[in-house]
Amino acid sequence: MAHLSNNFSEWVNLQIDNESSFAFSEAVRSPSLSKLAGGVFPTRKDEEWKYTPLGDLLDSSPGRDTAVVFDHEYIESLKQAMPLAHTIVFLNGEYSEEYSDSPTALEDSGLSISPLSQLEGSALKLAEDTILNSTLTDDNIFQHIALGLSQNGLFIEVNKNIECQTPIHVIYISTAHGVTAFTSPVNVIRVSSNSHLKVVEQYASLGEAAVITVPASYIQLDDGAGLNYYKIGVENASTNHICNTSVRVAGSGRFESHQYLLGSNLTRSNLEVSFTGPGAEAILRGVYLGDENQHLDVRTYLDHAYPHCSSDQHFRGILNGHSRGVFNGLVLVREHAQKTDAQQSNKNLLLSRDARVDTKPQLEIFADDVKCAHGATVGELDSDALFYLQSRGIDKKDATLMLTRAFAAEVTQEIDIDSLQTYVQDKVSASLDEIVIPSD
Amino acid sequence: MLSIKNLQVSVEEKPILKGLNLEVKPGEIHAIMGPNGSGKSTLAHVLSGREGYSVDAGSAHYKGLNLLEMAPEIRAREGMFLAFQYPIEIPGVNNTSFLKKALNEIRKHRGEEELDAIDFLGLIKKQMKLVEMKEELLKRPVNQGFSGGEKKRNEILQMAVLNPMLAILDETDSGLDIDALRIVAGGVNKLRSAENAFVVITHYQRLLDYIVPDFVHVLSDGQIIKSGTKELALELEERGYDWLIEEAESKA
Ligand SMILES: Nc1ncnc2c1ncn2[C@@H]1O[C@H](COP(=O)(O)OP(=O)(O)OP(=O)(O)O)[C@@H](O)[C@H]1O
Ligand SMILES: [Mg+2]
Repeated sequence: MAHLSNNFSEWVNLQIDNESSFAFSEAVRSPSLSKLAGGVFPTRKDEEWKYTPLGDLLDSSPGRDTAVVFDHEYIESLKQAMPLAHTIVFLNGEYSEEYSDSPTALEDSGLSISPLSQLEGSALKLAEDTILNSTLTDDNIFQHIALGLSQNGLFIEVNKNIECQTPIHVIYISTAHGVTAFTSPVNVIRVSSNSHLKVVEQYASLGEAAVITVPASYIQLDDGAGLNYYKIGVENASTNHICNTSVRVAGSGRFESHQYLLGSNLTRSNLEVSFTGPGAEAILRGVYLGDENQHLDVRTYLDHAYPHCSSDQHFRGILNGHSRGVFNGLVLVREHAQKTDAQQSNKNLLLSRDARVDTKPQLEIFADDVKCAHGATVGELDSDALFYLQSRGIDKKDATLMLTRAFAAEVTQEIDIDSLQTYVQDKVSASLDEIVIPSD
Repeated sequence: MLSIKNLQVSVEEKPILKGLNLEVKPGEIHAIMGPNGSGKSTLAHVLSGREGYSVDAGSAHYKGLNLLEMAPEIRAREGMFLAFQYPIEIPGVNNTSFLKKALNEIRKHRGEEELDAIDFLGLIKKQMKLVEMKEELLKRPVNQGFSGGEKKRNEILQMAVLNPMLAILDETDSGLDIDALRIVAGGVNKLRSAENAFVVITHYQRLLDYIVPDFVHVLSDGQIIKSGTKELALELEERGYDWLIEEAESKA
């Protein structure tokens, strides 16, 4: 990493000394602040960042627009992805009581949720302990920005032995006019033993000015706990989104992640999962869809430190225009992690000659009795399948659309919330409708 | 209806069809037989517009239209249908919605109203009976995980639903058991009318017991070397192709 002074790092340093009310105590903030004070941002020379174009982000100097008006209809339309959920809405980083469901709705359910800004006492301590327990191997500056500068976010806690019937839908919307909007929400999710929960994190943005979103999520599942975690990115083309997610899954726990990255100029998602006990399971799914000059960067790290754990990853990329996709997945199977079952698959579909993808699935295995496999493909649409559809009267554009949708659907069909599956598939279709123009 | 004149086609510089002539009139059934690699599937593909073939000479007209200039989907909408020798598996595309889309594209082209889900289901259920196909196969992705015979029946189901003017069946009988063969042939015979025509590519005389052709052609090395009636198929069954090929060579 190199010392580079830029507008953004200068702005970050100004924030440190700001009077703002930050979400976390010094215990969490100070290690991050000292990293930030160094002002060290990665450059293209860093191996891990060589594909990620941070230029626009580092050039920008965010500001605060107090006169911003939020689009009511748009917010309501985002809620439609999860009409039956308990919904929490943040507008430019601030908790919106108006659009959020009242926390009292969850009273006595064993599930409690609270914006970080309202967190205190033992709950705040629990949230902070969860963060302090976590480890991100990719110790990147963006998680320190989130921890050091975050003013808000969501804390979710489930007591033992609870089957949560109502999913949680948290929506982060940024609206930027005239001045760059910056948010760094932090989410902390704790699921106690043998409890199960579904959480949807959705990120959206509006307006002609730039948006920077730097979230960090910390998830801890105790013995036998289960979480289905969905991340939906539908931010606009002037948004740069860099997120870090750290997940710890205890023995017999089950973590399921679905990431649908369907927007933003730049998205970089780093998802790290560690098993902290035997017999745990992780299912990671994702689709990234890019057009024009979009950059979509998906990173996963799976730490198999205990025996009898299984992980199964399946990510698909669809890239059109000049867009670029990156998949970088590392599975580490430590010496004592016998009977590990780790599968990883990444398939990419290039719809234009100028689109490209760099995929790097990696396995590092130090145990000898394991079942591991990984594979990656980069290809175009199957011309035989295209011809088959055309020979039945379907034109090339529609045939291309059908096959591309089908390519995504093999992952999206695994979303087990009907309304969300429909929402994501419609979003994918709508984006494809706009971008698919056959080459001849 | 279909008029092919001196058609010469090559693949990657390699000549496959070497001056092929064929006339098909409404109401007729033509059988094309011939040794492996003689160019039967190539003919079927070129007629339905598959990419990768270069037409070096000759012409093909369908209903007076210059077939070789039409996009594959336009040929289909104008009433052509190819039952593939090797039907393609299309993961993620549902068999029913695929077929509904195809039918409605063809109906739109004809200026007919599109069928809604209920009317379409009625139609497809009726045609499924015709080919005795399991309903479960409608819910699956197109041809995915279908057995060889199920794929062939699915081709005939598509044909029955799309109701083409000119259907080319490329070895639809290969890989079918006797019962399935009878069902597929029964399907063709039910669709048969004075207005439409069939070109049936096969290796087996047996199929022609069920689908009785008006003409039988022998394709060898890219040319039709002999045409006759259904008796020719019987003779081929008995004597093979060698005598015909020798006869053709001595004439040349
Ligand atoms: N894409 C291709 N590239 C190279 N050669 C090809 C290609 N397609 C067809 N051929 C060749 O053209 C010739 C004719 O093939 P075709 O599939 O038309 O034969 P066929 O008469 O249908 O045979 P069969 O009875 O085995 O189905 C063969 O020699 C085949 O190898
Ligand atoms: Mg063939």
